[in-house]
Amino acid sequence: MSGFQQIFKRSVLELVRRPIYWGAMFVLPLFLMLMLTNMMEQGLPSKVPAAIVDKDGTALSREITQNLGSLQMVDLVDQSNSFTEARHKMQEGEIFGFFMIPENFEKDLLSGKGPTITFYTNMTYFVPASLLFKSFKTTALMSKAGIMLNVAQTAGLSAEEVVPMMQPVNIVSRGLGNPGLNYAIYLCNSFVPCVFQLMIMLMVCFSLGQEIKYGGSPRLLAMANGNIWKAVTAKLLPQTIGWWILIIFMQSWLYFWQGYPMNGSWWWMTVSELLFVVACQSLAVFFFGVLPNLRLSLSACSLLGILSFSLAAFSFPVESMYGSIAIFSWLMPIRYNFLIYIDQALNGIDVWYSRWWYVAYIVYILLPLTVMYRIKKAFARPQYVP
Amino acid sequence: MGIFLKSYIKELKLITHDVGIILFLAFLPLAYPIIYSLIYNPEQVRDVRMVVVDHDRSALSRELVRNLDATQEIRIIGYAADLGEGKHAMNSHKCYGILEIPEGFEKKVGRGESSPAVIFAEMSLLLRYRGFLVASTNVAQAMGSEILAEDINTRAPLAGTLAVTDPLGVENVTMGNLESGFDSFIMPGVLILILQQCLVLAIGMAGGAKREKPWLYSDITGRTSGGVFKSMLGSGLAFLTVILLPCVYMLHYVPMMFTFPMAGDPFEIMLFILPMVIASISLGFCFQGVCSERESVFVLWVVTSVAFLFLSGLTWPRYAMAGFWKTLSDLVPATFGVEGFIRMNTNGASLSQVRPDYIALWIQAGGYTLLAFLIQRFIVAPARLRKLA
Repeated sequence: MSGFQQIFKRSVLELVRRPIYWGAMFVLPLFLMLMLTNMMEQGLPSKVPAAIVDKDGTALSREITQNLGSLQMVDLVDQSNSFTEARHKMQEGEIFGFFMIPENFEKDLLSGKGPTITFYTNMTYFVPASLLFKSFKTTALMSKAGIMLNVAQTAGLSAEEVVPMMQPVNIVSRGLGNPGLNYAIYLCNSFVPCVFQLMIMLMVCFSLGQEIKYGGSPRLLAMANGNIWKAVTAKLLPQTIGWWILIIFMQSWLYFWQGYPMNGSWWWMTVSELLFVVACQSLAVFFFGVLPNLRLSLSACSLLGILSFSLAAFSFPVESMYGSIAIFSWLMPIRYNFLIYIDQALNGIDVWYSRWWYVAYIVYILLPLTVMYRIKKAFARPQYVP
Repeated sequence: MGIFLKSYIKELKLITHDVGIILFLAFLPLAYPIIYSLIYNPEQVRDVRMVVVDHDRSALSRELVRNLDATQEIRIIGYAADLGEGKHAMNSHKCYGILEIPEGFEKKVGRGESSPAVIFAEMSLLLRYRGFLVASTNVAQAMGSEILAEDINTRAPLAGTLAVTDPLGVENVTMGNLESGFDSFIMPGVLILILQQCLVLAIGMAGGAKREKPWLYSDITGRTSGGVFKSMLGSGLAFLTVILLPCVYMLHYVPMMFTFPMAGDPFEIMLFILPMVIASISLGFCFQGVCSERESVFVLWVVTSVAFLFLSGLTWPRYAMAGFWKTLSDLVPATFGVEGFIRMNTNGASLSQVRPDYIALWIQAGGYTLLAFLIQRFIVAPARLRKLA
């Protein structure tokens, strides 16, 4: 058996024998993947708990209450008597917002005093509050339209004339790729690969660092005849293959079983995922070369790996961040994975538009070139610093 | 000196002499909230780039474009000849939305016919789409009522009352996070998560260190149930002592620095967070059961932050979670910590108003301490003793 094969075999055995590798490579990433996709399976968190404060108590106000209650997005859990009571319910977390019909509502309306409907939304929780806002606003505007229709018809206008008059300028928004604002599609496609990035990088630093910690690195180097490239590649190749299998599984899980939009080519997405694995590993090797210390390299990977969830701009766009921070979002492989996903899977556009993102992967893969000599030095004389 | 006091002092020494643990208990709580808050500090998504395809080329269509450009949310970067050119701009990542105004737009609006303009929105980030929606609704309404006021009299003088005096006002009031800022929404929850995670990570690493070199800590390795328990309480108190200042810093000074909403009573908030800190410390002692070495914590625990973020209900609310995930989230200290802290800090709830969360946290604190004792007694202590023998 050649040196390469020996190291490869040794590395495979290590992966199989130590439970911590099983945990890091299979249990954690797969659990998170399952959790994120399953938790948000509904697409949108409908039935937002809300309340109505009906101070009027007339037939009209009850009709509005009924209309509100029949909306799919709203779950009227409560009928409060006052603003204070409803606000307390909000503070206690029972409701995310409430809809208030003022006293003498019907009377004021009929006498043309122009009463006001007010709705309150708790923006400390973005998603339910936004959904509630939409439902409340729709109900309020529908009620208003109904009332205006009545008034206008008494003034001699037909319904056909009144409806476009209500809203002469109409702008329709169409979401491309994800028209239903499905949250699972929005979040899982970025967060799941980002979990992979974190774990891929940690595994590299952990397994390389272990060689130094337990003094196995000189032997590893000897098995590779002093060729550090051979040593590191053979050591990490089993992980690469493992991650390739896992990430193809992830891809199938997201776009096939979960049915998330895949409007472009499977082929280019697969190329992206495979390169992504190697890019993450290479970046981790680079970190390890810069800081050939088990704890420090793991700290660096953890810090950047966790920050990537925000920095890679899955929810808050890069162009809205401060320039000095936005730069960092371009430093992590997941950013390019995300951009390729947007272009290739979500929007299904020509791969030409994504060409630079693929080039970025190649740059990551070349990074270890600059630090291999440092890893060789550290491997030759292993020194464990706790 | 009793085992309790001895463990307390020894653990304090261990913490202050271990760079790895200091990193988790000082650098992490000090620097992380700042980095994190800075990422989202612009709060609002402004001036999302949009391209216009105007098939009408009328005064009204130009006014519509001008008005959209004037909103905070949208910035018009130019005109495209047709939808294909607009798509090309979007595909080249130059814009995230295309506004298409149909031919005859002005004429139809004048005649009171429906002729909608369409915004095609790129959907990778929902915040951009939300901006388009808000801006277009506002502009359509403002322009609509203007047109209504202008021409309703010509058509039905009696109906004029409609436009002049609004028959029904509709008003929205945002509560808690008054400006609907993204930073103010996500950060209070993230602060609590950081607090829990840095405690578990630090304690996990301390556990790994003791497992690796038990001879250095032999005098505090309890050999009886009582000894194990007292020694665990002593070490736990040491972590509580050390986290006190970072905790005040994170929950009070960080929100102050970044002007997050702060509507709660600071003392009540500290009182509320105490059982969560205790529960997190005990969770850390449970975690020691699988930390056979110092560095295990990185590989096994760091990624759980993502799971806890989602379980806390910050992004996907807990009322919409399937039973299994909800039950799982009930087991995480940060879940109730996040809920209660947001209500107190952002919505101004009092301690008595977050009573269910507070009780849940004390139950967790008790439960995890008991579980931690069992794990320390039957897994961690025997493992250390085996290595000593």
